[in-house]
Amino acid sequence: MIRFDQVSKRYEGGHEALSSVNLHIQKGEMVFLTGHSGAGKSTLLKLITRTETCSSGQVRVNNQLLHRISRRQVPFFRRHLGIVHQDHQLLMDHTVYDNVALPLVIAGEHPKDISRRVRAALDKVGLLKREKYRPIQLSGGEQQRVGIARAVVKKPVILLADEPTGNLDPALSKDIMNLFAEFNRVGTTVLIASHDLGLIARLNYRVLSLNQGKLMTTPFDGAQS
Amino acid sequence: MTQRKPNQPVISKHNKPSNRKREQSAVNHKAWLRHHRDTALDSLLRLVRQPVSSALTWLVIAISLTLPTLFYLALTSLQQQTVQWQEGGQITLYLRQTVSEADGERLTDELNARAEVLRAHYISAEEAWASFRETLNLSRSPFATENNPLPASIVVIPTQQNNQQLEVLRILIDGLPEVEEVQLDLAWIERLNRFIDLIYRIVAGLAALLGIAVLLVVGNTIRLAIESRKAEIQVVKLLGATEAFVRRPFIYLGLWYGLFGGLAAWMLVSLVIWWLSGPLAAFLSTYGLTAPIAWLSVFETLLLILAAILVAILGARIALWRHLKDAEPQ
Ligand SMILES: Nc1ncnc2c1ncn2[C@@H]1O[C@H](COP(=O)(O)OP(=O)(O)OP(=O)(O)O)[C@@H](O)[C@H]1O
Ligand SMILES: [Mg+2]
Repeated sequence: MIRFDQVSKRYEGGHEALSSVNLHIQKGEMVFLTGHSGAGKSTLLKLITRTETCSSGQVRVNNQLLHRISRRQVPFFRRHLGIVHQDHQLLMDHTVYDNVALPLVIAGEHPKDISRRVRAALDKVGLLKREKYRPIQLSGGEQQRVGIARAVVKKPVILLADEPTGNLDPALSKDIMNLFAEFNRVGTTVLIASHDLGLIARLNYRVLSLNQGKLMTTPFDGAQS
Repeated sequence: MTQRKPNQPVISKHNKPSNRKREQSAVNHKAWLRHHRDTALDSLLRLVRQPVSSALTWLVIAISLTLPTLFYLALTSLQQQTVQWQEGGQITLYLRQTVSEADGERLTDELNARAEVLRAHYISAEEAWASFRETLNLSRSPFATENNPLPASIVVIPTQQNNQQLEVLRILIDGLPEVEEVQLDLAWIERLNRFIDLIYRIVAGLAALLGIAVLLVVGNTIRLAIESRKAEIQVVKLLGATEAFVRRPFIYLGLWYGLFGGLAAWMLVSLVIWWLSGPLAAFLSTYGLTAPIAWLSVFETLLLILAAILVAILGARIALWRHLKDAEPQ
């Protein structure tokens, strides 16, 4: 599902955020990505969402070689991804409902489908009663759950999360991780960047560890062809 | 640069956007229309919700459009007037003494038959002499019986007095063997026409400059709108929004500004005309002239509003082109 071959990323300032990263995440896997601050976790996720392009090597996501996708095709590629941010990136002047509906509106879905699917997604994160609220009226944990609902409402094939529990207390963090695990159980490939090592250790998933832009753990060996 | 393996499909068949597009074209078409409608409405609401700041923008648009429109109106009515006034302008052809009265009449008929000539009128030597004596009160003077020194003449009133047609007429008259001398009473009309041409140019230049001003004003307003919605743009881009989707609300914002600006310009123009028409008529009547009826026709009104909308949309497009790059997702 996600495959990096000798991927390096050098930012404009000359700093190499990733060097020669090889990894392979299979369809339906749930994987954690850890590393110290500045290790390159966010950079790796940005390469997957094609917010950044790699300096060398190649990235393959959902059977598409990302350097081959033209600018015009990028939006259509991104519609297969669900992205959760640490600061949830909700639109503050829209309701919870409108925020969650956004990916469906962008994809041009029918309003009837939209309302059904938005309610289903809100139900899953336990915020069905909050659909008319504005994000500002919700707690941090609730806002994060709205962000997750928005990421999964279109049933993405890949769910990416960058520090989804960064601002949350341990109990809430566990809830959020359980939510991700639930989506993973129904077949979504999940990749979560986090430095909450304690939490990760308690969950039994594969962990990729970055250090100074280098991947420490060996890539999933069974998947190597 | 990146290493590329040959023979690898760009995108898998399953996900190819163009394929998806074809499959869903009917659905997408409806969704596209729906989004246009929703976006247009949303942009209008945004504009209405900030009445003061948006009014500033479309008022500037209105004023920028009002000035050249008024000049244009003044000029077109002035031109209509010169067509009327030109009846005062005439050409007098003094015929040679050798030309008989019958020949003179025949020439007059010939001139009357021409399109450039509105009216030609023959004045025989006797008529000229009679009226001359009358004006000078010479009927009882000793000169009364003397030989008539005046030639016969033809007075020609041209139909149209733009410069080309006057020139055609002049060449025609110059070539007539019967004519001894030509006296033109038209110099002032010609000068007026030249003057109007000049003013037309000035108005066109002014309109272009003010058009650029509208472009800048709308561009700046849209730039601010883009800036204030930068976070939103970044989010929707990450959620898979196309460029067109991101641009649409701002294009519609430009459209509304243009529409409101154009309508306000039309109202301003009407107000100014109403304000000036009374005093203008009074002023012109002292010269024995009737005031022109200067009013924007329906067509011209639509043209004005359409021009406002187009310029505003162009301004929005320029702003988007320049500032959307800054709103790529981080
Ligand atoms: N846009 C950029 N331009 C230049 N350098 C960048 C840019 N983004 C990140 N970097 C650098 O790349 C390195 C990796 O950054 P990255 O954001 O991927 O780290 P991270 O692992 O996500 O860290 P954190 O846990 O603090 O979020 C850092 O040294 C950072 O300074
Ligand atoms: Mg980071």
